[in-house]
Order: sequence, then structure tokens, then C-alpha cells
Amino acid sequence: MYVELHSRSAFSFLEGASLPEELIAVCSNLGMTGMALLDRDGVYGSPRFHLAAKKAEIKAHIGAEVTCASFSPGAEPSPACMGQRPVATEEQCHGRFRLPLLAASRAGYQNLCRLITKMKLRAGRKEGAFASDLDFIEHGDGLICLTGGEEGPLAAALKRGGPQAAFEAVKRLAKMFGRSNVYVELQRHFHREEEYRNRVAIEIAEALQLPLLATNGVNYATPRERELADAFTALQHHRTLATAGRLLSRNGERYLKSPADMRMVFADFPQAIANTVELSSRLEFTLNDLGYEFPRYPVPEGESMISFLRERTREGMQSRYGRADAELKKRARRQIERELSLIEHLKLAGYFLIVWDLVRFCREEKILAQGRGSAANSAVCYALGITAVDPIGMELLFERFLSEERGEWPDIDLDLPSGDERERVIQYVYQRYGQRGAAMTANVITYRNRMAAREMGKALGFDAETLKRISAAVATWEFKDENDALDRRLRDAGLDLKHPRIRKYFELCLAAQDLPRHLGQHSGGMVICEGRLDSVVPLEPASMPGRVVVQWDKEDCADMGIIKVDLLGLGMMAALKDSLQLIRDHYHEEVDLAHLPADDPVVYSTLQKADTVGMFQVESRAQMACLPRLKPERFYDIVVQVAIIRPGPIVGNMVNPFLKRRQGKEAVTYPHPSLETVLGRTLGVPLFQEQLLRMAMITANFTGGEAEELRRAMGFKRSEARMKVIEEKLRAGMTRNEILGETQEQIIQSITSFALYGFPESHAASFALIAYASAYLKCHYLAAFTAALLNNQPMGFYHPSTIVKDAQRHGLKVLAMDVTRSDWKCTLEPSTISHQPSVRLGLKYARGLREPSGQALVRERSLAPFASVQDLTRRVPELRKDELTTLAEIGALNEIGNSPRRYPSAALRAGSDTEKSIERNSYSAGLNQKNSSVPLCLRGEKLFHRRDALWQVERAVRWSGPLLDELPEIDGESPLAAMTDEERLVADFRATGLTVGPHPMQYRREEMKRMGIYRACDLANLPNGQRLRIGGCVIARQRPGTAKGMMFISLEDETGIANAIVAPDLLQKNRVLLISERFLMIEGILQNQDDVIHIRAEKVSPLRITQAETASHDFH
Amino acid sequence: MFACIFIPDFCAQAIIRLEPKLRLCPVAVLIGRAPLEKVFALNERARQSGIDVGATKSQLEAWENLVLRTRSESQETSAHAALLDCAQSFSPEVEDTSCGTVILNLAGLEPMLGPLQKIARDLSQRILEMGLEANIAVAANPDAALLAARGFPGVTLIPEGREAERLGDLPVDVLLESFFCEGEQAAHWIETFDRWGIRKLRSLAALPEVPVSERLGQPGVRLQELARGEISRDLRVLEPQSIFVESVDLEYPIVLLEPLAFLINRMLEQLCARLSARALAAQELQLTLDLAGMSSDGCESSGRALPRTFMRRLRLPSPMLDAKVFLKLLQLDLQAHPPGAPIGKVHLLAEPARPRALQSGLFQPVFPEPEKLELTLARIAGIVGEGRAGSVELLDTHRADAFTLRHFAPAEPGSTQSVKQPTNRQKNKDMYMSGNGSVFECDEKFHEKREENVKEITQDEKGAVIALRLFRPRLDAIVTLCEAKPVRMRCPVREDIAGEIVWTAGPWRSSGDWSEQEGWSREEWDIAISADSGLVLYRLVQDKLSGTWFVEGTYD
Repeated sequence: MYVELHSRSAFSFLEGASLPEELIAVCSNLGMTGMALLDRDGVYGSPRFHLAAKKAEIKAHIGAEVTCASFSPGAEPSPACMGQRPVATEEQCHGRFRLPLLAASRAGYQNLCRLITKMKLRAGRKEGAFASDLDFIEHGDGLICLTGGEEGPLAAALKRGGPQAAFEAVKRLAKMFGRSNVYVELQRHFHREEEYRNRVAIEIAEALQLPLLATNGVNYATPRERELADAFTALQHHRTLATAGRLLSRNGERYLKSPADMRMVFADFPQAIANTVELSSRLEFTLNDLGYEFPRYPVPEGESMISFLRERTREGMQSRYGRADAELKKRARRQIERELSLIEHLKLAGYFLIVWDLVRFCREEKILAQGRGSAANSAVCYALGITAVDPIGMELLFERFLSEERGEWPDIDLDLPSGDERERVIQYVYQRYGQRGAAMTANVITYRNRMAAREMGKALGFDAETLKRISAAVATWEFKDENDALDRRLRDAGLDLKHPRIRKYFELCLAAQDLPRHLGQHSGGMVICEGRLDSVVPLEPASMPGRVVVQWDKEDCADMGIIKVDLLGLGMMAALKDSLQLIRDHYHEEVDLAHLPADDPVVYSTLQKADTVGMFQVESRAQMACLPRLKPERFYDIVVQVAIIRPGPIVGNMVNPFLKRRQGKEAVTYPHPSLETVLGRTLGVPLFQEQLLRMAMITANFTGGEAEELRRAMGFKRSEARMKVIEEKLRAGMTRNEILGETQEQIIQSITSFALYGFPESHAASFALIAYASAYLKCHYLAAFTAALLNNQPMGFYHPSTIVKDAQRHGLKVLAMDVTRSDWKCTLEPSTISHQPSVRLGLKYARGLREPSGQALVRERSLAPFASVQDLTRRVPELRKDELTTLAEIGALNEIGNSPRRYPSAALRAGSDTEKSIERNSYSAGLNQKNSSVPLCLRGEKLFHRRDALWQVERAVRWSGPLLDELPEIDGESPLAAMTDEERLVADFRATGLTVGPHPMQYRREEMKRMGIYRACDLANLPNGQRLRIGGCVIARQRPGTAKGMMFISLEDETGIANAIVAPDLLQKNRVLLISERFLMIEGILQNQDDVIHIRAEKVSPLRITQAETASHDFH
Repeated sequence: MFACIFIPDFCAQAIIRLEPKLRLCPVAVLIGRAPLEKVFALNERARQSGIDVGATKSQLEAWENLVLRTRSESQETSAHAALLDCAQSFSPEVEDTSCGTVILNLAGLEPMLGPLQKIARDLSQRILEMGLEANIAVAANPDAALLAARGFPGVTLIPEGREAERLGDLPVDVLLESFFCEGEQAAHWIETFDRWGIRKLRSLAALPEVPVSERLGQPGVRLQELARGEISRDLRVLEPQSIFVESVDLEYPIVLLEPLAFLINRMLEQLCARLSARALAAQELQLTLDLAGMSSDGCESSGRALPRTFMRRLRLPSPMLDAKVFLKLLQLDLQAHPPGAPIGKVHLLAEPARPRALQSGLFQPVFPEPEKLELTLARIAGIVGEGRAGSVELLDTHRADAFTLRHFAPAEPGSTQSVKQPTNRQKNKDMYMSGNGSVFECDEKFHEKREENVKEITQDEKGAVIALRLFRPRLDAIVTLCEAKPVRMRCPVREDIAGEIVWTAGPWRSSGDWSEQEGWSREEWDIAISADSGLVLYRLVQDKLSGTWFVEGTYD
């Protein structure tokens, strides 16, 4: 027998080429009973390794290769030195080696985690982390040390000082870890140098009476992955395969070898093989024994956590259901009692209290917070204020959230406004549970097509231009057909796959797919722990100061039973919050999101018209196509609307039956009479995950936990075997209930088809609340809502330019950026011509303008207005030339030029805004009717324009010397001509990404008319089936995975948005055009049914409208 | 007045010049290493058919009649030299402005060559005859002529005083591309002018001078002057290159090398005398022999195509001026590369260079004279073959015996000599001997053991100094395996290397370059075979890709 005790996975980031699961699969095939994973400076891959091994019934040993600075020779570490930050001397830096450590016991594992955490957290930015001998003395208990391969301590010492130094190094290890805990490692990869090292190692082992241990220093599972490992090595050293030379491996022997092969390789040292089994039996620790404990919530004396929770729940219930009818109150009380009993039984009171504490903190700090996900199924969560949806009133299924059988922590996600407020909540968690008690979860960045193509190209030495071309060609659409295969895309990039080198490149790209590249930080997942989290999993510094991140990602944490709280930043929450503040400041009204009118007719009529740009969750093209058919009339319709445009219902063909039934075009039927209670609300069509669970509970007598197990089994690709077992169980249950034949099949089909992607009702309900709030604010406070949306970009489905154009079509006046008025963010200004305030574009929309410069400008302006461009330049030295140029280019300096010195009449300047600039006057005559409001006397006068500003900026930024520095200069006329409409458009889009002037299509409308191109607003009045042409700016492209290869394109003109559907064959023929053109003309058949309008494209051609760089939001 | 000759699409035209039949085809010039070649330059026809610079070779497959050529810098150099020749045949004052661009002073040429218009047309015609299509512009100053040639196709004549008017229609880009070599600098100006809405030279010229100076400084003012065609300057006249050529037309063709050497010797002496008179030496010698007995189309009566000229080029490591050395070098070269046909005419060209001036240090070792060294190297190359003599430079790879040969060029005297470092082995040995006091009881044991080993090693060291003598060429072997181990072998070409293998160490495996076409994989065994003199150690290797066995060398 043989056990491989020294292997790396791809989680050693560029030093291993196989996933932990692949290592285990090969290990299992080779008949090994155990294996150890020692990734570099971490246990990143250990959860996946552990779970795969558990499934394969293999003993998974955990350890790590820890980077060490060479031990100080001969120096005996004194206790006084403990805790000091070790500083590696230059010599030590050169002598770094990797010490392979295996966790023998839980204490050993905890020591390993602490050791790694310590070295990672003390390493400076961009400094390599390393451990010193002092660290091992402090954290050496329970660890078994190997002497390593070519990067190990023995090899390093041998290289540095010959056999004597190697002997000293091993002796030192024996002293630090105890002689019984050190194994002298032998590796044989058929190198002469390695054999020399083995001979020295054997002598040392004999002299120190240490056991020998055979390992293969595995870097990949099978020999074929050696090529990928070489490519990784080249990337790691920023070389190419051709220039990496001897950095690459000498041969491909570092794969998992069978016990028989290893016995043959070490035929002369059978004890080295036998010792692997002996050591494996000594390694008691596995990740089953993690020792994680969720923190206890501190409660007042005399209270237990459950009694405290009961009290808080009772208080909450009083406020939530105080005014409810008796029946609802009774049901709520019963449900809450049931939930509390289960919480007590599962000992989860502490968890609920901790989440409650977070929500309480948010409430006190006036931070909007709302629980989402399955927590909305819980009446206790509702009572505690964690969620905002009444699960009793909506009859939500509690088991989806928590069940006894499931044996795992419930999942509570909190939506918070993105940005500073979310950061405050995160910092509160750190402060409350300590720097070593809480951490963010990691996000493992893996190789996908594009990254693989780029990195492997680098390894093969492709030039930068080729790499760029490849990156551009590799498809990242959600839907992929045979034309999107990587080989096809590489061909599109001009690479000849028949060439052996390119073929090799292609193979490498495929091999790298899904392997981890590096560790990132999850956007909101936090884990907390009773005691020290760094005893459970090593912590690392995150790039953001004050944050630490665990070495496992969210899924791994869940798999290891570590409870997490997702503090998710939701742009819309921030936008809602900002809207409320703007409403308070400018409309002088107080809006309470918790008490919005429930059935506002304007909101529902707007939703029914699919006029939803900017609204949360209901603004996408697919949602817009569904809204006029679903015609929401009450809140539950919005819940359905949020859930229905999801892969589950679409793949499961649930959308059309539901909409037909809703429109009365199809009779409401049920797969089985017993399901009427479950499916009644959705007209006999299952739409939510909860319905799926209830269906299983009713038809097959599943318990709540079993039903949840069913969902999970179907929800994960890796659980296909489990899915089969559960499906059989489901069938057996139904058969017992005499649900047979076609009915059984139909139910099974509907459960399995969308279990994977189905949306939980509770989650939809939470989202629907936000969707309703966003719709309400947009309908009633458009200016505030638009400004808030613009201030919280990027978010949602559309670019800011589309949001601005949509708002303008709704009558909102959006004012151009102006350094005499704009703040950093978009603001509201009272309008002289409308009851509704106008939105003033904020300085943050000037590309390249840094926030400190913008803020300095606003600060200085508040002291005194700027007299000239020169004055601005002198008073705001933070502004760089490029920033000033950008501001001048987009007209933000125009108003400075119209200073009193040039136009002394104060009357002319009253209420001046960019309307008065010559540019606005010259926005093609007749386009801007509001010009009539400009004083007539200004019309004939040459006003300061963008090029005047550019002319002045160029002078102002050139230092004229001390003599002339104080000389005041008035911004005079420039010899430059004012920008044309086209030039202004180009400048606007280049420097802000949008224009507040007319839509580019408006300038060319006459020409478009001659070409027979209809406006978007005309389509509603045209008959279904008419052949026509539409044209406009491409604002969104989508190729969803569920749409059978169709591409959806949205074209915007000055009147609105027109949608087109492009079939796969047309897409294939016009791929480049459809993907790269900014303005398109599409000819096709109009489909105008049930107020849903789109064009089925038959011909596409480019439109030459403007050179402006308009942007499309493409969903990849 | 000045004339500027500008060859648009110079890289493509330089190639078409030698292949006139391509003139009517779309031609793309590629650069880069296979398989990543991309378009570097195009001719007008290729551009019109929609091809872009930067397209890859496989993207060009869609164009059926497109002709692809690899960029040839030598053809560009020749084309440019021809352009200079042409210009110099018109005017003694010629400026070599840039590749494909030449300016010449036409002052005083009108009485001899006719009106300016005619001179320009003649120039154009002459260049066309050379196989190049040029834009020619004549103006009162060189820079105006340059701008006009780059901006207007065909022949352009700008009357004196009307420069600003004529140049005004040109895009600003032409001005910036003409006077800024660095793309980044040009891009900066283009960006500024684009922002200002200045797109034509007329607009730039019209800007008020003082405000321009305040904003763009003197470079801006200069650009304005250039745009107005106002800057007058002298040409950077190209000095006619000294050409050191000797040619001899033979009455009777020479067949043997000896009389040829006699002739060459005479020519070399002449050349050396000419060079010496101008205090120059030769950096390169080029011998061109016109071969006799060929028909005018280069075919013998047998019909077999043979080259009409035979050329050898000797690049010398440093400038020399010794006719005897030159003769010997040429003799050795001709012995290695005989012309293969009777010789009708001999041309000998020497590329001049400043002679080497060096004073050796008093205490520095005597350094071989470069002339002698070069001669010796040439002799060695003559014996072992070209490309087989020089300095060995090891390659950074695991591939056994991987090296490259560079021309032998010993370090100049006086360069720092590396201090001989003690070898690792010596250091190790010292280390073994200087063990620290023991802490563990086993220290002593280890030391004893090591002492013994060191003794062994000391003997081993004698053995460890063992060298591997490589067999070149390697010796193919026939090997019998037992349980994947070699047990018997023999070399068909060396009967003495054969027998039962009594001891093996290995296998030692290595492989690499898998991403290249010339990937390799090998397995080495160190083996011992009994011989009359005792055991003999060999390195036996199997090439894993071909499966062949060979003996790579023997250990001393």
C-alpha cells in the first residue's frame, strides 16, 4: 500500500495544474486509501478535496507547504523573541524554502491556520509572506513536518551549505517539531541531482534516526497536465515557454502514481513506502473535525439566548401584526411558536440574534436594510425586522428556509445600499466580533474562455496585439452555440488551428478552463465565529484596508458548515435612499418606503405599459416584453413578474401557459386535484421553488426537509447521482398516493425542469417590494429618482445615457454639467418653466476627473465664483490639464466665460444655465423649443463656447512666470470656430458617455424618413405582420442561455426604444456587424400582439449617424 | 527651388520593384514569425479591396487574388539606394530625408535640364523606370516640397509665394506625420488640433501667432510656419559614399583558383592602397564573379539554369587593412565554396570603416591579433565546416547538449576578468570538514559517517571529476531490455562497445519544448560493461519519440 502525502492542487495558484476533485478521482482510480493536499501557504482547496474524498471514501489529509525564510543558523530562539515581527535578511530571502506540514490533529490544524494567518497578515503589501522558526515553535504542536522536495528545507540547506548544512537543517526541524514528527522525504523524478539529494537525505535519516517517507511531490493528476503546469510556471515568472528555460520542469513525472509504480520506484527503500501508510494512520485530523462554533450572542443576566429571542420576536410581532385581523394574528402566533421551537431545538437562537443585531444597527444608523432570499419565508425574521415580507399573509413555505432534516445553517442575506453604508455595516461586524473573529469570504477567480485565451497566449509568447484580438473575439455571451466554441472564435481572431503551435495553444486554453487563477474577495459574504476564526481557516489581508478574507469561498464555507451572513450591496437600495433625501430637500416631502400606498394606479398603469426603464428588476427587455401581457394589478402580480422571467420558468415552458391563463385564453387546470391549493395562486402553473417543495410534500409525502433536499440535489450540478436517488423516492411516494402514469410524469417533469433555476417566492416578494418602491418613486418623483439612479451607477440594465434620454422623454429637464453649478454628484435645481425640478449633471460624469479635484472645485466655488478660466486654474491647483480640457470640451466651463466682465448686465445672467450658451442656441434650430426662453438680446451676441474654453485652458495651464502670474486676464474670444452638432455629440459621449442635448437620431430624422425608417413611437400604431424598417442606437444586446441562440437587440431613437429579435442564422451571417456597430437599421416583420412590440429581423445594415462613441450594455 | 520625391507605400513598392508583374495585383506585406504573421504594409489596390494593416495571415484567406510577401528590409534598402542614385543623377545636392523620401536642390539646374515642370516629370519618369511610383513636388523650400509630396499625388509644382495657399488644403495629419517621428508626440498634437477643430493646414496657419505661442510654445509656432510653407532651410546634403570597388574583365575565362588568387591579390593591393590613402580600413569585402559560359538568359546549352554571378561576402570582426590576410581569407572561402564555373569578370568591393585604434596595456596578456585570429578561425571553419567553429554558448534549457555557436570574439584586453570562485564541490568539502560541535548524540555518528563518506568522496571526487566524453556523432546502439532495464547492448559501428550490462543507474528522464514542433523526450542510463581493461562506463540514451537507442558518451 502507498498513500500520497505530498501533492499540490491548482489552488497553489500557478503551481499546480489539477483541481482537488481531479486528484481525488485519480487517487480513487489508483486504489489509494488516502491522500494529503499541501497547497502553497494555504488550505484553499481543502474543502473541495475533503468533500470529494468523502464521496470517494478516501481519507483526505490536510496540510500546507509553508514558505519560510531560512532559519537563523545556530540561534536558539528565546521566549523573549516570541511575537516579534521577524524581518528576513537579504540572505534569508534568497534562502527561502517551502516547509511541508501535515495536520495530525485538530490542534495541529488550528496551529497551521493560525501560523498561515499570522504570516499572511504581517506581510507588507506586495511583500511575500513567510514564516520564521519562531512561528513554528509557537504553532508547531500537532503538526508533522516533511523535509520536502526540491523546494524543501533539506534541498535548500544542501544547496546552500552542503550535506552538513542539510544535516543541521533537519536536526533543527527535529528539535522544533519533535523527532517523532519529522519525516525525511524521498522523491524520485528521475533526476541525477535529486538522487544525490536522496542519498544525503538517507544518511541524515540514518544519523538522526528519522523515518524515511516516499512521496511523489505531485503537481498534477495525470501526465498530460504537465504541459499546463509548464505554462503556469512560465506565467508565474512572467516569461514565455520559449524563454522560461530551466524554470520549467525537467520532465513530466509529477503526476499521481499508483502504489505499484511507487513501490517499484522505491524498491530499494520499501520502508519509505510502508511509512506512508503508517503516517497516514497517525494523521487523525480531517475537515469533519473542524471545530467551528457560531458566536454566542451576549444576553442580559438571567436570560438565555432563546428567551431573549422570544422576547424580541414577541415585541416584533406586536408591531407587525398588532393591527392585523384575528385570524392572521392567530396564524402568525402559531407559526412563530413553531419556528421558535425549531430554532430552539436546532440551537440557532444565537444566529437569529446576531442577524437581528445587525438589522438593529442599520435601523439605528438609518441605513436601509432588507433581508432577502429564503429568510423571507420566516415569520420570526419578519417579526424581528430582518425581512419586510409577511410570510403568513403570503402563505410562504417556512421549510424552504429552515428544516430539521437539512442539518445546515439557514441562509440570511441582507440587502444594503451599496457604497459607504454597506462598508459601515461590515466594519461594525469586525468591530463587534474582532479582527480575528470575522472575515469576508473569498471569491475564487477561475479561468474562463477569455482569461484562458489571454494567459495561454502570453505563455506561448503571442504579441500584445494578437492577444487583444483574441480577447475581443472570444465570446462571452450567456448563450453559446457551436459557432461560439473556442476553436471557432480563435479562427475568427485570425489564428490557424491547423498549425501545431496554435493547436497546442487551443489545448492549453481548454485545459485551463475552470482552474483557479487567484483569490478575490466576495462582494458581501461574511463569516463569523465563536473564538478565533483563524483557528478554523487561515485569514488573509484583503486589498481594501481594514478587511480580512478567509481562504475559502462562499460555497466552501457553506459546505464546511460555517455560517455566513451575506451583506449585499444593492445599487437600487442606495438609489432609493438617495431619492428619499432628494425628495426631502427639494420636494419638501417625507416618503416612508414602509408605508407607500399599496395600490397606486399610476404605478400599475406604468407597469402595464412596460414603461419601466430604471425600475428595479422589471426594466429588462424580457420583463418589458412580459409586462403588457401580465398586466400587473396588485402587489402579488409584481412578485410573479419578478419571478417569471427566470431560466427556470422559461426552460420549463411555464411562462406562456401562465400568461395565457392570466389573459383568459387558456383554462386553468392542475396536474392533480390535490395540487389546487398549492398552484391556485399561479393558475395551476408552478412558478416558485416553494411550490415545487409543496408539490413534493403533497404528492409524495415528503417532509419539509426532504423536499428541501430535493431542491438542493437538483440545484447543484455535482449532485446528479443524488438527484436520481431522490427522483426515485419521489416516484415511489407518488405511486403510494396513486398518482401514476402521465400525471406522475407531468409532475416529475415540472419539478425537475425548473428546480435548477427556479426562483423562491420569498425572494421574489422581497425584490417585488423594492421594485414597487422604485416604480413609485419614478412615477411620482422622477427628478429625484433619476438623479439618484445617475449617482449610483453602474447598476441596472441600461447605461446612464439611456436613463437620461428616458427621463427627458418623460418631461424631465436634464441640465449639462457646469462648473459654476454642478456638484460632484447629480443634483436637483428648481426649474423656472416646470413644477418639477431639473437634474443637473454632476462633475462625477466627467471622465477622468478625479473626485478630490472635483470636490476641491466645489469647495473653492462656494467661497467665491470663478471670474475666468485662469481664475479657476489658479484657485483649484488640483485640476490637471487633462481634467480642465475635459471640462472645457463638454461645455462645463462655458458659464465662466460668460462672466460679468464680459456681460455686465446682471439681468442677462439671472437664472443662467447652459440654455444660454450659444451651443444650446445652435443645437439644430427647431430642435430645442426652449430656446425661446433665452433673452433675445443674447441671441445675436457671440457667447463663450466650448472651443473658447479650450483655447483659454491651453493658455491658463501654461505657467507664464512670476512676472505675469498675478496679471488678471479676461477670457477673451478665441479664433476657433464653435463646435458643430456632430463635434459636440462626439465630445459629450467621449467625455461623459451621454448627451443632454438631442438624441443623435434626431439630427438625422429627415434622412431617416427618406430611408423609410420608422420611429420607435410609431410602431404601436402599425399592424401586426407589417414589413418595416427601424433604426437607432444600439443600447443593449442580449443572447440569453434560454433563448435558443436568438439575439435580442434594443435600438433607441429620440422617441423611445424599439426591440428586435435576430435569429441564429442571421446572427451568424452578420455577426461582426451586429456585435460591433453602434447604429443599426433593421428590416423585418413587425410583431405587435398584446401590446408587446418587436421586429423579427430579416436584414440588418449599419447606419452612419455619428462618430460619437455611444455604448451598448451587452450582457455576456 | 527644391524637389521632393516621396514613394507612397514604400515597403510594398520596394517588393513590387523587383516583381513588376505584381503592379496590377493587390499586395500585402507581412511581418512576424509564423504562425502569427500580420499585414505591415499594403499597396493601393490591396487597400481598395478592404484589407487593413494588422490583419493576420489567416484572415487574408478571404481575398483570393491577394499576393502576400514578407517584408524585406534589404529590398527596401536597395530601393532607397536606387532612389538616392536617381536623385543624385539629377542634382549634386540631395538630402536623404527618410526611407522612401528624398529632397533635392534644383537651383541652377533649369538651364541644363529645362523648366522645373519638366525636371519634375523627368524625375517621375526616371523613378517609374526604376519600378517605383513616386509623388514629386517642387517648391521654394524643402519642407513645403516635402509636405506637398506627401499630401498630393503625382507631380505638383508650387509657385514661390503661394505655398500657404496650396498647402492649406492638406490635412494637419500630413504635417505631423512628416515632422514627428515619434507616434506619441504626433498623437498629442493631433489630439490638441482635433479638439480645436483644426483639421486643415489652412486653419492652423490662420491662427494668430502670439496666442499660439502662448499656448503651444515655439513648437506650435514652428508648425504654423511649416503649415504656411514659410520655413526655409538648407538641405542636409548627403555626402556621396566613398565606393571602393575594383573590377577586372578577363580576356579568357579563369577556371582554376590559383590564377584567380593572383588576380585578386592585385586588386586587393589596389584597394588597400586606396583605403590607406584615406586613412580607412575595410570592414567587409564583397567578391562578385561573373561566370562565363552562360547564355544571356543564364542557361547553358544543356538548358540547366545557373546563376550568372557568384558572390561571396566576408564580414570582418574589426576593420583591417592587410592585403595578405584578405587574400588568404578569400582563398579559404573560395576553397570551401568554389564558384563552379569559369569566371569572366571579377568585382571586388571593400566597405570602408575607420581603422581600429587600440593600445594594449603593459601588464595585460598578449592578445591575438585580430587579423591572425580571423585567419585561424577561417582555417578551422574550412576544415570543420561553416557554422561549426566559434564560441559555444549554453542555452537555458534542460535539453542535453543544447548550445549555440557564436562567432568567436574574445573579451577585449583590459576587460574585467572574473575571479575564480571556489567550486561548490570544494565549498561542500570544506563544509563537511568543518562541522560544528555536536548537540545531538547522533552528531558524532553523522560526522563519523560523513568522515568516511568524505574519504569516499575525496576518492569519488577524483572520480567525480570524471568527465563525460561525448561521441560525436553519437553511436547508434542495439539494446536488449529486461523488465524495462537495459541488460545487453552493442554498437554496430564500434564493435568494442558491446556486451552484458553489469551495472545500471537510471533512468534519468527529461523532455521539453512540447509547444514547439521540435519537442524532445529522452531517457538516459548510466551503464557499465565489462571490457578487457575492466569496467567501462557509458551513457546510454533512448530517444523516447523515435524509440532509438544510442550511446552518447563514455565516462573517464
